[in-house]
This record gives sequence, structure tokens and C-alpha cells, in this order.
Amino acid sequence: MPENQIELIAHLARRAGFGATREELEEYAGIGYEATVDKLLDTSSPKWMSEYLIRRYHPDESSMLAGLSGLEAWLYRMITTDTPLLEKMTLFWHGIFATGYPKVLNAKPLSDQIRMFKKYAMGDFRNLLVEMAKDPAMIIWLDNQQNHKDSINENFGRELLELFSMGVGNYTEDDVKECARAFTGWTIGNCEYMELRSARDSDWPYGRISWHYEFDANDHDNGEKEFLGRKGTFNGEDIVEIICEQEATARFIARHIYHFFVADEPPVPQWPYQAPRDPEAIDQIVQAYFDNKYDIRSVMKFVFNSDFFKSEDCWYEKVKSPAELVTGVMRLTESVDRPQYEHSSRQLRMQYMGQTLSNPPSVEGWDGGTTWIDTGALVERMNFASEELGRVETPGSNELFNKIAFEGSGDIDADRIVDICLKHLGTINVKDDTRSKLVNYVSKNGVIKVEDQGIDEIGKEKIAGVVKLIASTPEFQRA
Amino acid sequence: MATQGLEQGQSLRYVRTVGMTTMRGRGFYYPIDSAMSNSGRLYVLSRSFERAVSDSMRVTMLNEDGEYYGVFGSAGIGDGQFRWPCGIAINDQNRVFVTDEYLNRVSVFNESGEFLKHWGSGGEIDGMLNGPSGIVFDQDNNVLIADSRNHRIQKFTSDGEFLQSFGEYGNGDGCLNLPWGLGVDQQGEIFVADWGNDRIQRFTPNGEFVAKYGSPGRQEGELIKPAGVIVNQEGYIYVADWGNERVQVFGPDGEFVQKIRGQATNSEWAEDFLGVNVEEAGARERANLEPDIDYFNDDPHEESSHIEKLFWGPVSLMLDSESRLFITETNRHRIQVYERDN
Repeated sequence: MPENQIELIAHLARRAGFGATREELEEYAGIGYEATVDKLLDTSSPKWMSEYLIRRYHPDESSMLAGLSGLEAWLYRMITTDTPLLEKMTLFWHGIFATGYPKVLNAKPLSDQIRMFKKYAMGDFRNLLVEMAKDPAMIIWLDNQQNHKDSINENFGRELLELFSMGVGNYTEDDVKECARAFTGWTIGNCEYMELRSARDSDWPYGRISWHYEFDANDHDNGEKEFLGRKGTFNGEDIVEIICEQEATARFIARHIYHFFVADEPPVPQWPYQAPRDPEAIDQIVQAYFDNKYDIRSVMKFVFNSDFFKSEDCWYEKVKSPAELVTGVMRLTESVDRPQYEHSSRQLRMQYMGQTLSNPPSVEGWDGGTTWIDTGALVERMNFASEELGRVETPGSNELFNKIAFEGSGDIDADRIVDICLKHLGTINVKDDTRSKLVNYVSKNGVIKVEDQGIDEIGKEKIAGVVKLIASTPEFQRA
Repeated sequence: MATQGLEQGQSLRYVRTVGMTTMRGRGFYYPIDSAMSNSGRLYVLSRSFERAVSDSMRVTMLNEDGEYYGVFGSAGIGDGQFRWPCGIAINDQNRVFVTDEYLNRVSVFNESGEFLKHWGSGGEIDGMLNGPSGIVFDQDNNVLIADSRNHRIQKFTSDGEFLQSFGEYGNGDGCLNLPWGLGVDQQGEIFVADWGNDRIQRFTPNGEFVAKYGSPGRQEGELIKPAGVIVNQEGYIYVADWGNERVQVFGPDGEFVQKIRGQATNSEWAEDFLGVNVEEAGARERANLEPDIDYFNDDPHEESSHIEKLFWGPVSLMLDSESRLFITETNRHRIQVYERDN
């Protein structure tokens, strides 16, 4: 099997998932690139660690009293899923429709929102926008419960246009107002009580109560509206329909897709002033969006099969987000097969790296790219990856030792050790300079010998040292 | 509340709710099991969670009228501390035993909550533990423990001396998959909430398989991940049908008898809270706490998250000396009490 084919599929696995083990990559290579894309896009029956099992051992992942509960369950899902693209798409939409705990102050609706993203992540973009507009956490996050027919609140309407669909400069202030009018009456049930409980961060007397969407017909503005040059008695669904027809929407979503899946773009606020890195690729994604009638799965199929995605020019051109890094590392260890007391700390480590899911820095989400890297975050990223991958007792490490032992008895060449380790960690293609340093490290630490019983404990620690070093390389920290 | 085939006096009738959510002190925080001493003192074990404050992981002492006697225990690995506390039981000398499914040990306290000792260690061989969860005393005052991750039941003396083990991983008769709650009937037969296999299994006092009840599903008589089981004096089997967010009653031969979904009201402690938080009490009064909405996947877990009076995480069952049934709900941080409708 050609190594360059496996390397291309490794690139796909890093972008459409969280990376893959060598065994997974060889399995993918066996069916070919395009079939692998189809396999990754098939999200019809995802499997992950049983929700019942998670709830049994982590009751706060069930009823979610504490702030940011639900994230550990999401991390379990990302680590154990057999359908990684679905989780990546969920992360993608969460980054755009960024909703945060500090204002919502009820973790269950935030967790429900993530579940909603998963359900609609890869379907018709119109459905996703409508469900997002009805999402109780989003309603509270952007004050739509205060958007009344006699007194509009523009917050949701403005962000729908600016951050969720079209981008700045493609609509007028009047469009914002008319948009807001169309969403009057879109609120949550028991609004007074639920808002008060959130304001007081009250979980008394019997814990949190989930929220539900409610349409208040008496508070909805049924009058005629003029929106983006069209006139009618538009409601929220009509507004979404019009938005999705706009080229600006297609272009905005295309750039987001490029930024998340292909190569890092500048932060969103700079987009009106800075051309895309690859304008031709954006044009092609826009065309795919219209050709496929806003179907996101089809758009993603086009992207993953495109020349611009496959091009080596974009390999390792994305810095992994903390969520991607932590998930990818834990998947490689193959050690998370049941709920673990230590799991909570992994989610905290992600926070120390600069990303707290369901708590974005602003309504604009995370900037991504090189903004993930500062001195503190980089040390945390390297430490986490090294610590977890350097544990000699994990199933992932054992597989690596077995692979090296399979080389046969006697001293194993330093070059060969580095090769096997790089392949084991997802077929990482490091620069020549990095590689020579890794080989030098192995050579300096003495030979690694395979005996009849396999590799001894000292040898395992030496190999773990190589793995730790690789986990610190720029190539491993990037996707 | 659906019932069928009930003998006189076996139908369950709601009585009251006990407890409320608090992170510390008077109240519960993810209660996972309860037990009652000979003197009627109620011990409620709060599981809490990993990131919570240390003293949220505790045992709360009270009586069923809400009279509060204090707490003991906290999060940690020292004497008298817990990490993943899971089961609580009291022997005939009013010693309080608490299992810890992370530390693989059983901590023992006196009736006042003073730490006495702990025993047990992690491992797979007989007498060692891997995830001890449910705990109950048999008629000989020996202790039975659901050794969950070893998929077996182990019997010890009160001092932790190993006596017997039965069960192994699997789904055949007598095999177990992550067993949780345990019950012992008047004849000393052992009932196991075979959580991973969605059924209750019944064993002789020596651990021989007798019968199994329930199959996976949401219909009457079916079970999803049962967490607790207890048997009354007449042999009726009460099951905390945890994954279906309900309690089911089976007859002595395992036939379906009744299911209850919960009907909590404000406990005395809840009334105290609402009495001094009048703004919140007013808004609560005006709210519709039983909304008629579509739930995600028709999942009772979701329904319970929206409708507060329903069971949410019914995990353990206890009968008092008057045969009243105490149902501990993890996610609603309370106990609903039912009595037989005579």
C-alpha cells in the first residue's frame, strides 16, 4: 500500500476527525480515499460510550447542576465515537453559534443545544438555522425572550445576520429590525420563572429544570416586513429561507468551512477587510452550497474530495483546537473504555489550554488558528500530550511496544524506532530536521533491545520518551 | 399510576417528599442510596461529583419528618472520606457501611457518623473489589456487596472477612453485567439489579440462580438499567427502573403488578426555602411545571428533566418498619415516600 496514500488519508482523518491510529488508516486505505470520505460522511448510526454508563458513574452529566456540566459527557463522546466527523461538525457549529454558560446559567439547555447541533449538523442549512433560532439556550443567550411585537430587541436578529449567516456589510440596519420583528414571540416556556432561577443561579428546591421552546402567538408581529429587498408578512422561517438564498450567506459559511477544515484563516472580524487565503476554493464551496440546495453533507463531500483540500500545501496548516488535541490524544491512548474518575481533569486541561466548550470568549466564538498558541497554552498542550501518550500502561502504548517487538529480537535501529512511533501516532510526517533530532535522541539514550519476552521496562520507558517528544512537535500539535 | 393483579393492600400511594438540593449541610447533593437505623434515623448518601466542593460528598442524617441531625464524610482518600461513594447499609448494631467504587473499600461508621475503620482492596481475586456499589445485610448479619466491575456478588462478614462469591460476566442465567443494587427477602434469597442486562436476578442464599425478571424495554414489566431492588414481607418485588425513570412492582413470582412515575410535592425543607424566597416562590406558583411538549426521542429521562414532580434518577429503594417505600432520586436530590393503600 503506497505510503503517500496513507499519508493523504491521515490528513483526511485529522481534519474530518481527530486523527486515527495506524490500523484505522490502513483499513481506510484498503477501501480507498473516496470510499473513506463516504464512510466518514455516513453519520446514520453513530456509536459511542453508552449514555447510561456515563450517567451512572457521573450523575452530574445527567442532571447538570454545576456550570459547564455536560462537557465531560461530550468529551467521552468525542473520544469514543465511531463517527468522528459528526462530532467535528458539532464542534464546528458550536464555534459559529457560540453560546455561553455565564449568561445562560443552566447547563442542561446548553447540553441540549449541542445535541441539537449534532442532529442537524449535516443536513439542510435552513433547518439548522430554524432549530438554532428555537433553541432555548440561544434565545436566552441573545435575549430573544425580550423581543416583543410592541418593543423589539434586535440582539438575536442582528447576530443571525452578522455572525450566523451573512457577515457584516451585507445587510442594512433596517434589515436587522425587520429580521427581529419576524422572530417576536419566539421564547421559552415558563420564561419568568426560568429567567429568575438563572439570574439567581438557583437550583432549589429539586435541581435544574430543562427549558423548552414556546411560540407566543399573541406576542408575534404578523405585520408586513421588508427584508433584503423582499416584502411579506414574514415569520422566522421565512427570514431563514431568504437568508439561505443569499450569496453572502454561502460565501460566509464557505469561509467558515475552509477555516475549520482546510486551513486557518484570519479571525472572523477581519474577513470584510482581508481576502480569503484561497478565493478560488471559496468560490467552489459556494457553488457546492447552491448546487446541493444548502445540504451541508454534500458540501462537505465536495470539500473533502477537492484538490485544494487534498493538496499538501494545506497539510499541518491548522493548529489543533484544545478540544481536538485532547480528544485526539485520548483516542490514541485507547484507554477510555469506561467512565473514569480522572476524566474530569482532562476537560479541565482543555480549559487550561484556552478552550472551555459552552463558554466561548464572546458571541463570535473562538478565533482559532495561531491564537490557540501562547506561552502558557503551548506548555500545557505539550505537557498534556506527552503525559497521556507517554504512559506505558495504556492499550495504545502496548500496541506500540508490540509493533516494535514484532521487528524481531536484538537491537532495534534508532531510525526504525522513530519511524514506527511516527506511524503509530497517526502517521505524522515531520520535517527532516525534527526527524534527525528524534533519531539522535533515541541513539543517545542507548539501544532498545527486543528479548524473547518482548521489550523490558527500561526499553518501554525509552520508547515512551520518543513518543513524548513527538507529541511536542509542531506537526503533532497541528492537524 | 398503572396497576393490575394487585392483592388487597399492595397498591402504592404517595405520602410525601423528603429533602432538597444543597451543596452542604442540611440537604442532599446527588443522593445515591439511603438506609435507616433501628431507631428510625435516615442516612442519605450524597454522591456529589468530581469537581464539587469536598463537603458536598457526605452522609446526611435526618428523620422522615425532616428533622436534621447533621452530616459526616467528605471527598478525599483519607479515613472517613469518599471518592465515588455508591451504597450505604446499616447492620443490626447500627454500624453504617458505605461502599466506594473508586477506592474499592467499605468505610464503617458508628450511628453518630464517627469513622471506625475501612476494609477492602482493589483486585479481581475472591475477596478483592473492583467497583463495589450496592450493599445489603443478610439475615446472618453478613454483608453482600455488588462487586460491579468484577460482575459478581461477594459476601463478607461485617469485619470484611471474605465468605463467598457468585456470578461472572455474561448475560446467561446467573451471569451478571455491572450489577448495582441488592435486596434480601424474608427467606434470605438475594435479589440483584443486573443493571447491564436490564433484569433482576434472584439467587438462593448460597448464590444459586433461582429466577430472572424483566427484559429490556419501556413497556410494563420491562426494564432499562435497573439500579435498585427490594422485597417486602409478602414477597412483592420493588424495582428502581432507573433507565425508565420509574419504579415497578412485581409479584412474588415476577409478574408485573404496578408502575409509578413519581408525584413529588414540596418537602418541608423545600417549603422553608420557598417561604423565605418569595419572589422565586411567586414565579414558581405562576409557572406551568407540567408542560405538554415533545421530548427528545420520547426519552423518559428528558421528560423527567422538564417535569419536576416525576422521578429523575430513581436509584435506590428502602422499606421502613411500617413497610413504607422510600425512593431515592439522584437527579432531583430528594426521596419520595409511598405507603401501601390499605
